[in-house]
Amino acid sequence: MLRTEINELLTQTGPGTPMGDLFRRYWQPVLLAEELPENDCPPVRVKVLSERLVAFRDSSGRYGLMDEFCAHRGASLWFGRNEENGLRCPYHGWKYDVTGQAVDVPSEADNGNFCASVKLKSYPTVKLGDVLWAYLGDPDKQPPLPEWEAYTVPDGQVFTSKRLQECNWLQALEGGIDSSHVTFLHGGNLDTDPLFKGSKGNEYNKGDLKPFFEVVDYEGGLLIGARRNAEEETYYWRVTPWVLPNFTMVPPRGDHPVHGHFWVPIDDENCWAYSFDYHPTRQLTETELEAMRAGKGVHSANDAAYRPLANKDNDYLMDRDAQRRGVTYSGIEGIALQDSSLQESMGPIVDRTKERLVATDAGIIKARQKLRKAVLALQDGVDPVGNRPQDQKVRSVATVLPREQAFVDGIGEAMKAEPGKPHTSV
Amino acid sequence: MFENLSIPVGPSSCAEATTAKEAAYRIDYPLPAARNTRIIALDSEAAAIVRGASELEWGQARFYETSDPGTDLVTMDGRTVSLEGEIAESNTIVMVSASGENAAAMAHLGEVCYNRGIMTAGLAMTPGNLDSDALHNLRPHARVLLVPAEPDDLVELLWATRA
Ligand code: FES
Ligand SMILES: [Fe+2]
Repeated sequence: MLRTEINELLTQTGPGTPMGDLFRRYWQPVLLAEELPENDCPPVRVKVLSERLVAFRDSSGRYGLMDEFCAHRGASLWFGRNEENGLRCPYHGWKYDVTGQAVDVPSEADNGNFCASVKLKSYPTVKLGDVLWAYLGDPDKQPPLPEWEAYTVPDGQVFTSKRLQECNWLQALEGGIDSSHVTFLHGGNLDTDPLFKGSKGNEYNKGDLKPFFEVVDYEGGLLIGARRNAEEETYYWRVTPWVLPNFTMVPPRGDHPVHGHFWVPIDDENCWAYSFDYHPTRQLTETELEAMRAGKGVHSANDAAYRPLANKDNDYLMDRDAQRRGVTYSGIEGIALQDSSLQESMGPIVDRTKERLVATDAGIIKARQKLRKAVLALQDGVDPVGNRPQDQKVRSVATVLPREQAFVDGIGEAMKAEPGKPHTSV
Repeated sequence: MFENLSIPVGPSSCAEATTAKEAAYRIDYPLPAARNTRIIALDSEAAAIVRGASELEWGQARFYETSDPGTDLVTMDGRTVSLEGEIAESNTIVMVSASGENAAAMAHLGEVCYNRGIMTAGLAMTPGNLDSDALHNLRPHARVLLVPAEPDDLVELLWATRA
């Protein structure tokens, strides 16, 4: 259970809200690079943290992300003409560069002074890996560029997809932290999904259906360890990192690529799940890429607007027969939609005053508390964590340890991302 | 996979049911509190934290201190009571340890709860310290462990679970 005012505090991320202020201290994924595939390609609308923006890539390959609406009379620049290093409003021809600066106002006298006085609000935007990242906060507080391992590996080692989720970001994040649902909701997928099957860890998973959980408080967020019996003297550990505010990573299985998510608020009732798969030491294979593009693993099969083909308008393609036979536990196909169908079913912003949480929800309880404390600390001028490279160089881990070893102690180095270092996985 | 496996029907379809407007029709009635959560401190430092939490208002939660062998509990007002009697109707016990002392009591609590199907949570109250005797001694007996826990984690956990 959560008090109404705290639920509001954590779920509202628009400009001027306390949680919105926190989010505006982080670089966030705002587009897939494929959405602006070449210089002078069509501009795209972007809504993030309840701000309506337009993004474009100019003739020199620079990325711009700025107020969607023209400074003149408010036409949407989505209609804009992307030409000669600027986006031109088709209404009266005002033209802006990637910083939002007006560079040509043909309807006015040929006078540079007027032009110089017109500027749309814009945000720095960079491409790292296959994702475009933007920083929407105070320029004086801009953190270093993100150093998530998935976005520092060589080309060909990462694949990112995005998927519309029609509920508040916190509902989606909490699914990423909640390790206890995996055995139930996703139980059927371990053997069949090409991106999971065949690891030794899967056997441990199935051999012990009642894991123990350790929720470890660490600097950038939480490490959530699920512990199962492995052999006589050992435990099988799966460790999920959560880094503030909205990054979660799934523990690996065998030599499969490692996956994780950014849960990015669009507005208070929608979010994007940016889901990545990367391998720290090798190229993704063509077979793996094919499976990812087809929506396997943590990805989903989507329409051109990145809305899943199975969505609330078709009841997520509920298959009661598969549910009955246990092919899928919920009757919904695929990990991503299994999660989002249930999270959307709670309503756009779930009423957390009506929850009946139990001790196994300790990870969620602690994460909410850390978010709330981070929001309050920021109001007192304390810098947040999670936007520093040292917090971001984290890995999920799956490993077998002697029973007496603390997982943080036993895993230690394995949790630190380093170029070329193989990941620790069972 | 995407042929028409289900036929959404009117107001009972997800499209309709997941809107904010429909969410407002979620029926409202009092939810029961957790059944008899028992919070047990295992050393004097932990007892001070447990005592602090006990002074807030709770549903059916009760607070104790114990030491080896853990067959008896001591209430916050100093009465000695039997563990068996106090957990008879409980769903969850929360063990709080700072020093890691009284490992035999932890093991006893763990075993009794295991046999009765009672959920066990453990708080290793060792702020700033990831590896501690409290952690090692609690680990085998707590299904959920917070490491390291801070004093307000106890209150948060109890509050969130309607103890
Ligand atoms: S509204 Fe854009 S130029 Fe007039
Ligand atoms: Fe899930």
